[in-house]
Amino acid sequence: MLVIKGLERALFFGMGQYTTDRTVGLSRRQYLTATSVAAGVAVTGCLGGARGEETIVMTGDTDFEEAMRGDDGPAIQEALWEAGLDDDIRVEVQASVDDTDQRMQAYQSTLQAGRSPPDIFMMDSGWTLPFILREQTTSMTELLPDDVLERVEGEYLDASLETARHPETEELHAVPLFPDFGLMQYRRDYVEDAGYDTSGWDAEPPSWEEFAEAAADARDEAGVDFGYTTQAASYEGLACCTFNEVMTTWGGAYFGGTGALFEAGEREVTVESESVLDAIRMMRAFIHGEDDEHALDGFPQIAPTTVVQWTEEESLGPFAAGNAVMHRNWPFSVMDLGAEEEFGEDLGVMPMPYAVSEDDAEFEGTGGSAHALGGWHLVLNPNTERTEMAVEVIEAFTHEDVMLTIFEALGYIPPEVELLDDVDEDEVGPLARYSDQIQQAADNAIPRPVTDIWPEQSSVMAQEIHAAYRGAKSPEQAMGDLASRLDRSEADVEEQDGD
Amino acid sequence: MATDTDPDGGIFGDESETERDRTGNPVVNWMENLSEAAYAYLLLLPAAALLSLIAFYPLIMTFVMSLQEDRTRGLEPLGGFVGVENYVNILTGNARLARQFMDVTLSGSFPFIEFGVPILQQALFVTLGFAVISVFFETVIGFGQAYVLDQDFRGRRWVRVAIILPWAVPIVIQGMIFFLLFQPEVGFGSDFMQWLGVFGADPLADSQDSFIIVLVADIWKSAAFMALLILAGLQSVDRSLYDVARVAGASPLQRFKMITLPLVLPALLVAMLFRTMDAMRVYGLIESTAGCTTVPSLTCLVVEAMFGGTRIYGTAAAVAFMTALVIGLIISVYVFFFRDTQGGLT
Repeated sequence: MLVIKGLERALFFGMGQYTTDRTVGLSRRQYLTATSVAAGVAVTGCLGGARGEETIVMTGDTDFEEAMRGDDGPAIQEALWEAGLDDDIRVEVQASVDDTDQRMQAYQSTLQAGRSPPDIFMMDSGWTLPFILREQTTSMTELLPDDVLERVEGEYLDASLETARHPETEELHAVPLFPDFGLMQYRRDYVEDAGYDTSGWDAEPPSWEEFAEAAADARDEAGVDFGYTTQAASYEGLACCTFNEVMTTWGGAYFGGTGALFEAGEREVTVESESVLDAIRMMRAFIHGEDDEHALDGFPQIAPTTVVQWTEEESLGPFAAGNAVMHRNWPFSVMDLGAEEEFGEDLGVMPMPYAVSEDDAEFEGTGGSAHALGGWHLVLNPNTERTEMAVEVIEAFTHEDVMLTIFEALGYIPPEVELLDDVDEDEVGPLARYSDQIQQAADNAIPRPVTDIWPEQSSVMAQEIHAAYRGAKSPEQAMGDLASRLDRSEADVEEQDGD
Repeated sequence: MATDTDPDGGIFGDESETERDRTGNPVVNWMENLSEAAYAYLLLLPAAALLSLIAFYPLIMTFVMSLQEDRTRGLEPLGGFVGVENYVNILTGNARLARQFMDVTLSGSFPFIEFGVPILQQALFVTLGFAVISVFFETVIGFGQAYVLDQDFRGRRWVRVAIILPWAVPIVIQGMIFFLLFQPEVGFGSDFMQWLGVFGADPLADSQDSFIIVLVADIWKSAAFMALLILAGLQSVDRSLYDVARVAGASPLQRFKMITLPLVLPALLVAMLFRTMDAMRVYGLIESTAGCTTVPSLTCLVVEAMFGGTRIYGTAAAVAFMTALVIGLIISVYVFFFRDTQGGLT
């Protein structure tokens, strides 16, 4: 009110100054007072704001937010309480964008600024390590009670834990919430109609060659447009996942096997090896057919050239519409398409086909089936003022019943993958039907080589692999260019450590 | 009259004392006595200081950061002082980025320069090319549209709406329109352009095709903006000038050259300046259609370096500073060459 009065007077006298000289001084003073008071009020008005004293804020997406409340299905909040979380502690999900890159950017700003809430971050296993190496996380090994820690270390999927550990101290800086695996999905009916027996595919996949033949024949027989759809746009998913899978099934690796995944600096770059080149040549055959001079002999054309523009959603489209035979995607699409009203039993899931067995693979830890590892971790915000409560929440998430509730509500695979043994399809939906394949995928999960410079390296990888897929470069040229760029970035890190 | 000593001093002394009483302090006193213009400047001062702080403080800090080493791990976001090393890396195509700022080497034979990677994969040239071509076409098309809108005819209102409509489309929606248009499963764009023999099979994965797509998308939208500003200029032209010209026997072309163009030029230049600045900063449109890897602009590079996930703040700052420098240079071309234009930019 005071401000308004001041302004009124200022205005009044301001107008007055053209009529009488005596008011000029007053108008100026009043004007200054009024504006400074207004500015002060505006600034203080912007500060403040509070949240409940026993609320723990965690980040997530809108689906997770709804599942936390239990809008349509079991409530995760209830499960957390039943798992022993203090009844007074409420978990509030701060829903942000779905896009993983944008979430990473948001967290980067929050952590750089030392802000909280959120008290707990949900971080992609693909970029948790850079945060750990930048010392923007807290060691959970020190904070979690011993029995919980033992359970996590003992029961959780090892590959997931590897991406949650500090590579030097081996301490856990994150607790996996759920792992994710690339799954090869197919239309069992199309393939069977083309005269193939798929009964053994649930346990033992066909070779890439048989896979491609089956895809081509089933496509022609069923009269659909595509034999195989996958993701090959120039983005993180190509480097971390779809190509990583194909490369591993050929016995190839970015950095000489799985022993050197998480420590950048002195790794040998092995993208020019014959196994990696063969993987690209096979994809060239899948995309461009045998006429392509760089295509691998004996592999038919099964994927449209458009795959080089496709990420998850675009590649799912034709498969979901019944217009493709084989499709590589994450479990969410199995959950959607495995429903009775969609494909039901006609949806098949097989372990990833492979070309080179583990024994014959060029690099250690490669060969055989391989499924790219994705998934999300829970990470404590080191700037939180509610550490104790937040740790209690994270602890509650490690209980089996909570994992199963999340699986039921959202289809997120439990980090203790063995839990899938006992799930019932009627209770938790179509994913349960494929629990054997999912467990096999977990056994063969291949993490991306994530380090502090992985985001930088992955965009270069995606770019060169993409150029090779498109035919803009020959496989040899693309991998040669990639090798020199990776060598340079490895050297950059080593130099930086040296000073 | 014994008390009436020192009449001069007494009277003035009393007056100055009342003055002090009235204002209370010398600063206010000084303010009260300022001229109207000086008082106006005084009031503008805080805002000017604040604005220059907002404008220059980040610029200076960016420059300071750009002289420091990248540090991808550890708590400290930046390493030691490395001088212009980050700039050297950027200008020689050795920056720690998927796409380079520029990657050009000099060679002994014609045309004396060699591109390390194709020219449409180098951010500087993509951005400059985009700015020049898009502003050129937007100006020409915008002028045409404004000319049409300036005439009297039936249904003019509808034509005006149709021309302005693209300007009302939000940038991400616009991006999605063109993205979907060239998704072979969804839109007809790819097939049609392939049939014409202009595009390859996957335009959104090809730098050259995508550059054209982004360019057309921008022209489609922003020509309307140019048209609006130019129309404002056209409508302020005194119609009687045309009557005089007609009586004097000037041809339509002469009328355009002697009357329309000179009178519209100031408005046109302002419009072009705005568009050039916008075009030099292009990012959202690219990100929502082809993506920054396929069509890297300067802003794309800054965003990628800053938020790409690997902490390379030194490089990011250097790219950002170079971007500001390039945009500043381009803008100063306008300001410098057209400083004499009446009512123009300066």
